[in-house]
Amino acid sequence: MTIVTGKAEARRRLQSGRSGVLRKIWDHRADYAYVLPAIAVMLIVIAYPIYYTIELSFFKTPPGLQLRDKTFIGFDNYTAILTSEVFWKVTWNTLIWTLGSTLISFVLGFATALALHRAFIGRGVLRAILIIPWVISAVAASYIWKWIYHSDFGIIGAVLVGLGLADRPPNFIDSVSTVLPSLIVVNIWREFPFAMIMMMAGLQTVPEQLLRAAQVDGASAWQRFWHVTFPHLRNVSTVTILLLAVANFNSFIIPWIMTGGGPSNASHIWITHIYELAFGRQRWGVASAYSVLLFLILMTLGYFYVRALSGNERKEGSA
Amino acid sequence: MTRITLGSAVLRGTVATALMASLMSTSALGAPPVDLSKWSPEYVRSIAGTQDFDAAADCAKVTPLDYKGRLTFWYQGVFEGDPDLLRQYYKDFFETFRKTYPNIQLEEQALTYNDLLDKFRTALLGNAAPMAVRLQILGGTEFASKGYLQPLKPEDVGYSTEDFWPGAMKAVTWEGVTYGIPTNNETMAFIWNADIFKRAGLDPDKAPATWDDVVKYSKQIHDKLGIAGYGLVARKNAGNTPYRFMPQLWAYGGGVFDEATANPTYEQVKLDSPQSKAALQASYDMYVRDKSVPVSALTNQQADNQPLFLAGQLGMMISHPSDYDVMLDLQKKATGADKDKAQTVIDNMRYGLIPTGPDGKRAVVFGGSNIHILKPEYVEGGKVDEPAAKAIICMWTSPEWSLKMAYAGSNPGNLNGFKTKWMKERLDNIKFLDVTTSMLPYGIPFPALPQAPEIMNIIVPDMLQNALTGAMTVDQAADDAAKKVRDLMGGL
Repeated sequence: MTIVTGKAEARRRLQSGRSGVLRKIWDHRADYAYVLPAIAVMLIVIAYPIYYTIELSFFKTPPGLQLRDKTFIGFDNYTAILTSEVFWKVTWNTLIWTLGSTLISFVLGFATALALHRAFIGRGVLRAILIIPWVISAVAASYIWKWIYHSDFGIIGAVLVGLGLADRPPNFIDSVSTVLPSLIVVNIWREFPFAMIMMMAGLQTVPEQLLRAAQVDGASAWQRFWHVTFPHLRNVSTVTILLLAVANFNSFIIPWIMTGGGPSNASHIWITHIYELAFGRQRWGVASAYSVLLFLILMTLGYFYVRALSGNERKEGSA
Repeated sequence: MTRITLGSAVLRGTVATALMASLMSTSALGAPPVDLSKWSPEYVRSIAGTQDFDAAADCAKVTPLDYKGRLTFWYQGVFEGDPDLLRQYYKDFFETFRKTYPNIQLEEQALTYNDLLDKFRTALLGNAAPMAVRLQILGGTEFASKGYLQPLKPEDVGYSTEDFWPGAMKAVTWEGVTYGIPTNNETMAFIWNADIFKRAGLDPDKAPATWDDVVKYSKQIHDKLGIAGYGLVARKNAGNTPYRFMPQLWAYGGGVFDEATANPTYEQVKLDSPQSKAALQASYDMYVRDKSVPVSALTNQQADNQPLFLAGQLGMMISHPSDYDVMLDLQKKATGADKDKAQTVIDNMRYGLIPTGPDGKRAVVFGGSNIHILKPEYVEGGKVDEPAAKAIICMWTSPEWSLKMAYAGSNPGNLNGFKTKWMKERLDNIKFLDVTTSMLPYGIPFPALPQAPEIMNIIVPDMLQNALTGAMTVDQAADDAAKKVRDLMGGL
């Protein structure tokens, strides 16, 4: 008769568990082999830069010296960032930029998707036209809008002056108070087609029978939308908003090309500020610390994005 | 067309003499190929076309013409504000180099002024830099001080140090060692539209004498005609901004440091001095008080001022003689009534010396570019083909090509370029060239410090923007900028 002690039992379970994991890996070795190259590439191009950025964020990198001459300063870069006036100004700009662009793009995209959901003559053409801003290169769009907004001879200014609605062209991007809203308008113009496409796809999944049944039961258009359509779009809406938010947090091209963060830092958002710190002023350590903070925020958004996707899958699985 | 008498003005005044001495202050100034003490438009005309040079033969002594090798090369190339003529010369240069050195595999890449520094810094961090690079004058010291560049002096490619402007040689020297060779050097001039002056009640043939006059003229033009008077530029990270604001700052007696003196020490920050604040106040008066300059100045570059000027919507600006060619190019592309309008502006284009400050001080940025060879450890592949690099450097800095590559907008880095037949041809073809050439003795180089790019491209434009947007008062903006420079110099 064998007496099994608690410790021995735990060891056996652990070994069995380990061999179970190893066995599973072995059983799926072909699957792992398929994804191995992708994992290797990710480790090189994603994991290592992340590690290096985190490491660099703890070093002082004087602009007059090479990067290899950096000195360890612990959390000083983080302290310097969080206590600097510019950080809070840029953070405020980033919040306005991200929330403004994301929410308005989503609402506008959703409204357009609803309008285009019903069949009417020319719907296909209209859809194609509305997608144009999204497929245009952001660089080209930024230059075009810069000219449209030009404070001396922009098209908007010329039209307003020509119609007698203004004495001189309005100042869109050369004023600290109007520059950020003006850039947000450009960003919304570029992004709302993405939200529109996502929501149009979502609308295809709303069961027609349910809408008809609700209509037969006397539900108004608003009630049908709120009680039938919208619940079906909750997950796609969450995913769309999260994707827009992540893209906007990371948005660089429009503010950099149109204003370079100016005038007087009024349109600097995190990503443009990080770029200027690193490549313009060569404060690699401070720029890395900024990047780590941005990374943490984006990871949090990413977590919610994955959760939203998993929720979708679970619901589809149980349906 | 006005003919401006400039010869006597060039050598006038003690300040100009001091600046001249600064440009000439080098031990190597034994026997330069041209006599800088006689510098005037007349003197430049007298030496033009007096000597022949053979670039291929000279460079064959440095690198044999049948040399087989490979060279990666980045350079600050032409951009949207340059005339077509310059594009053609760049094309011709690379074609000629390939014909002269058929066995050197050349991989060149052109980058614009505003992008080059950022991209080059990034490439250096990844040890992926090119073997040779042509940088703006502002960049040489930064990279030399960090140890990225190999020592390189004119003698290494068959020329002598005296063949180049002494002031330009200072910009490629760090702690007594030379790390590059000047390719071109330039000073800008003051440009105005005589027709606009006339219609605004100003003397059409007389440029504003002082910067205070510029402020006054700008307001008068704006008030009478409703158009912009002076082409202010205050964009950040754009070379155009310091090139236009620093002459104003120096003329008022200010400076970032003491760079406008004969022997600068760069020890004391002067951006918050009363003189510097007076210069900033002049910009403030034009932009905020009088609203007499383009509103778009904060996001503009000189390339944006050019169409405004051609459209007759801008009265005055600071630029190169190449702007005349740019205007001709733009006029050719115009149609209908616009074409005639543009021609009227071109006919009324005038060039003069940059105005002085209240004390008669005249100054202009001594600009240009330098060419360098990288150390192998920072180059892609870890190898530098030195003979190939020296071959292209020899050709670019030769009297012939240093002139041709600066044909429309600048001047040859190699002083012998002034003696070539192409200089003579250039003086006949490029209008107003003698005016900008006359400004050369007033040229002040940017501080030869590793921190200079950040000061000129970020801190100075930030100061302007802070004052002009009302984010800070003039005093606060100047004090803030001075503090930033002190922090930067202190290693923060």
